[in-house]
Amino acid sequence: MSKFNIQPVARFAGDSHPVKRPKEIACFSYDDNHEFHLGYSSMKWYYPPQLGTDLSKGFDKFDKHDDSADEHLDSLLRTIMAHEEEEGKKIDAQIVTWRGMITKIMSSPFEDRDGFEMNATLYQVRDSDADLNNKDCISFIEENHEYKQASMKEQRKQQKKQAKRGGQSQPQFSPDVMSFWGYKFETLSTLPATWAETSRDYIESRDEQVVSNKAQYCSVVRTGFGKTIMCLGGEVDALWDSKPMAHGAPINWVELKTSAEIRDDRGMANFERKLMKFWIQSFLLGVPRIIVGFRSQRGILTKIEEIKTESIPITAAQRGVKTWNANMCINFASGFLEWLKQVINDDGIWRIRRQPKSQTIEVFRVEEA
Amino acid sequence: MGIPAAFRWLSNKYPKIISPVIEDKPIVMDDGTVIPVDITRTNPNGEEFDNLYLDMNGIVHPCSHPEDKPAPKDEEEMMLEIFKYTDRVVNMVRPRKLLLIAIDGVAPRAKMNQQRSRRFRSAKEAKEKEADKQELYKMIKKQNGGVMPPETLESMAKQAFDSNTITPGTPFMDILAGSLRYWCAYKLNTDPGWAKMKVIISDATVPGEGEHKIMDFVRSQRASADHDPNTRHVIYGLDADLIMLGLATHEPYFRVLREDVFFQEGKARTCKLCGQKGHEATQCRGEAKEKDGEFDEKDKAMPLKPFIWLHVSVLREYLAVELDVPGLPFRFDVERAIDDWVFMCSFVGNDFLPHLPALEIRENGIDTLTAIWRDNLPVMGGYLTKDGSVDLDRAQLILNGLAKQEEAIFRRRRATEERREAGQKRRKLNDERNGRNNGRNGNNGVPMDPPQALTHDMIINRTPAPDANAANKSAAAALKSQIQGLMAKESTQEAAESETPPSGASKRKASMIEDDGASTPGSESQVATPPPVVNVDPSEDTVKLWEDGYADRYYEQKFHVDPKDIEFRHKVARAYVEGLAWVLRYYFQGCPDWEWFYPYHYAPFAQDFVDIGKMKINFEKGRISKPFEQLLSVQPAASRHVLPEIFHPLMTEPESEIIDFYPEDFAIDLNGKKMAWQGVALLPFIEMPRLLAAAEKKYPLLSTEDAARNNVGKEVMLLSEANQELYDDIISQFYSKKQGSPELKLNPRVSQGLSGQVKKLDDYLPHGSLEYPLERKAMPSVDDDRSLTVHYEFPQTNHAHKSMLLRGAQPPTPTLNRSDIEELKGKLRHSGRSHGGA
Ligand SMILES: [Mg+2]
Repeated sequence: MSKFNIQPVARFAGDSHPVKRPKEIACFSYDDNHEFHLGYSSMKWYYPPQLGTDLSKGFDKFDKHDDSADEHLDSLLRTIMAHEEEEGKKIDAQIVTWRGMITKIMSSPFEDRDGFEMNATLYQVRDSDADLNNKDCISFIEENHEYKQASMKEQRKQQKKQAKRGGQSQPQFSPDVMSFWGYKFETLSTLPATWAETSRDYIESRDEQVVSNKAQYCSVVRTGFGKTIMCLGGEVDALWDSKPMAHGAPINWVELKTSAEIRDDRGMANFERKLMKFWIQSFLLGVPRIIVGFRSQRGILTKIEEIKTESIPITAAQRGVKTWNANMCINFASGFLEWLKQVINDDGIWRIRRQPKSQTIEVFRVEEA
Repeated sequence: MGIPAAFRWLSNKYPKIISPVIEDKPIVMDDGTVIPVDITRTNPNGEEFDNLYLDMNGIVHPCSHPEDKPAPKDEEEMMLEIFKYTDRVVNMVRPRKLLLIAIDGVAPRAKMNQQRSRRFRSAKEAKEKEADKQELYKMIKKQNGGVMPPETLESMAKQAFDSNTITPGTPFMDILAGSLRYWCAYKLNTDPGWAKMKVIISDATVPGEGEHKIMDFVRSQRASADHDPNTRHVIYGLDADLIMLGLATHEPYFRVLREDVFFQEGKARTCKLCGQKGHEATQCRGEAKEKDGEFDEKDKAMPLKPFIWLHVSVLREYLAVELDVPGLPFRFDVERAIDDWVFMCSFVGNDFLPHLPALEIRENGIDTLTAIWRDNLPVMGGYLTKDGSVDLDRAQLILNGLAKQEEAIFRRRRATEERREAGQKRRKLNDERNGRNNGRNGNNGVPMDPPQALTHDMIINRTPAPDANAANKSAAAALKSQIQGLMAKESTQEAAESETPPSGASKRKASMIEDDGASTPGSESQVATPPPVVNVDPSEDTVKLWEDGYADRYYEQKFHVDPKDIEFRHKVARAYVEGLAWVLRYYFQGCPDWEWFYPYHYAPFAQDFVDIGKMKINFEKGRISKPFEQLLSVQPAASRHVLPEIFHPLMTEPESEIIDFYPEDFAIDLNGKKMAWQGVALLPFIEMPRLLAAAEKKYPLLSTEDAARNNVGKEVMLLSEANQELYDDIISQFYSKKQGSPELKLNPRVSQGLSGQVKKLDDYLPHGSLEYPLERKAMPSVDDDRSLTVHYEFPQTNHAHKSMLLRGAQPPTPTLNRSDIEELKGKLRHSGRSHGGA
């Protein structure tokens, strides 16, 4: 077993390692039945929601995707394969994974409550008789599904307990309702086509739409930290304007988030911590704009705020936030991935694990080739 | 909309919508060299602007008959004036992204009816004027001891520029289009402030009224997902309805730019005879011109007329307060409320319909409607309009509200008039008794300039007698007696004051304020606006709206139908409703039907609108007239020279199958108004099928050149080589070795947000030479033209434009403070309810 020490994080301070600007190389969509399609059929456009809307409305009709089955990297791999076929050449990434995995790694230095477990597989991709040189290899990394299911169950239990502790004065919402709010906010804030191509009736009746989390648009980007080139897949919520005509040009994606209204210092501190997650997620796919819908305790949408992703680290520094640092997130991930490429040097299935509250990330082989 | 008195009314009620334009002027050095304005520098108005739209007829018309100097002596001089004026406007705004120049193309039929009425009137007046002019010259000659000053002779021989040529299809419009292309290319080559600017020219060959082509453009850009919702728009133009159109875009940053209507004029006017300053025409001795300075810098001392901003964004702020109705059973949406307000403004006046008799802008007709709307909104269940469509059931409620007040309005109007007349009489008596003149000869409370010496204008712009039909005695004869009267008491100014209309300057100002139609691009020269009619005998109004039975009399006398025929009134009202729906759609979506028009000379009463909710209104795009068909529809026979000769017999020969469209004389019905220009010209309506049949017979006989001018053209876009990315994109697509298709969809990230498609121009090569198109070579040609010209097409969309703010629109910093808002609310409490409530 190899171990990567998170502490002391100070060794990741300083200027950030070079970052390759994420460029979308391909995309895919899940339709309303969560069926896979290449292309952008489920892409949505942002148009602001009506304030004062009750985010709980329609919870009883929520068309929820059943996430009990392990979907692995299937959709991402299908998309990459199609892309390689179209291009006539293999992608040059050394790591292929969902955006969420790298988010977990990047936030590790400043997040010690939750752990994670991932599985990695090494493939030699280029025809080369030479020794295994990690330049010619791709590590495919996915979340360990069993661990994920278990930890989500645990999390729910905690939330329920917390809700009970909240006392009678606080409105009671189950964790399921509260996670519905996020999807509802997306339904309220997006259009299936550009504003011009969408009818007024649709725009004004978004509150009546059935909320579903089955349809998704996923962007597949090429990005990288330091010497590590990555291919990441992740859902993006909406488009601000139009996809650029030039290939690889930055896309004005919009990330939609909900958050409780900030009412006191504690609320502010909580929001600061959330901002780190918002930043990492959007940064990884090159999403330049985050729209935060603030909700009251009763789940009423009260305010919209537009946040530029690139400004999050800057304003955090200006506000004197000590709980996290963007450069350290990048440098930590860069260092870790560089190390990981050395460690995972052979076929088989490898486990990448951080146990809750632990200060190390462990890597070990779980299955021989 | 040409809302009468709209500017005045708006700026009184919403004072903060106006602010002065801060303008850098060229600096003249001691040695006479001129340092031009450097527009690459920040805008002195404290804000930068992205797009400037020129409703170009608002430049061409004033340049054809300037107020402060002699009219240009030929087309070339006129073009130079146009360049100069345009340059000044561009320098004020300094658009950083786009300049769109729109010249009126063929108009929808509904507009042609108004154009026809104005041109026929103007021809009628011109005939009378010419006779008057001859009379005046005789007087001057007499004054001058029987000798005619040589420069006066020259001026007499000169034909004044005929503004009737400012119409699509004339050779003049060709020259204008070519000259503007040259000038814009020249500016792109030489002015660094233009380097990043794209210039779009929509000349007279592209159908549509200038301002509406501009609106089409704005809507087309809004429909593009790449449009910046915080684009700073400025539109230059003279029409009051540009403010309404600005509101209709729902763009948060929109301004109208125009000359200051209220600026004191008449200070530096020139003699209409010899063109020199310092004396009026009647004092003209025709003396040799004195040089103003070594170089005769004739305009040096002349202060340029200042410009003003009309901030649509501030009007939006006022309306957000005024139209906010608390306790609605549905969501208050200020964008929808603004649309309703714009719609109601169109009841009070527009270019396409006569206004309802009960609604006068000067009587706060808009407030009356707004109050009714506020009272009814909670029960209407929603807004009156939606993205340019009227909800007729709700419109019925508003009209019912107006109908209830209608009689009271007429009676009150009468009472006010009587009071005013009595007051005027009293003052006049007082003045005569005290032997002083307070300059109170103004009408309708318009402030007048101090009394001035008799001007040429005063005489030649003499109004036809109030009853135009009765004015059978020769105009010249009438004038003769007038002039003789004046000469007899030349020194007693008070006498002249009380006998004659106000001075030309005041008259013009009054006309700009009272009827913007007079200065509407596409209308006649302002010179044609006659002064108010004096000595109107009120007994001439035989309808007497203030007395019982007025509706019977109205329909009997105006429409010549049996007063018992109530169904006819409903029919007129239905046609009117159609008109209201047409106007609304035109404003919010573009022309809904090019052939539709309101087929009566008069409006119905509010009480005649019955069951309009049952109406089904459908518009079809219809046929767009060709330029010569529009000319045949709007020009009187006297102006036939603007048409190819082949058409002249149609307008003049007794056996012409459409000779009935060109009456030599026609009645003008004052219709209760005081001024002839407010009256209704009773012209026969054009029957288009007959006109088309007649015109089509002539088409094969047209010369190729003339036939070309009857065709539909396209917009062009010009840009500088310095606009590098975009320039390279287009060049490599159209002119490189591996050139692609001759069409290119613009990439908004390269075109600074502009969407649309460009097409290669036939017979055009970049880096050619740019030739100055006019004769005297007043401006240079450029050997290596570093600009590029392509066709430009608006992005197309099949979807209706929605009256909504776009995502990302940032509300402007509020201009109104609490006291402004309180003041407006105070006005609201006292307005609109004075007729007994809704
Ligand atoms: Mg116009």
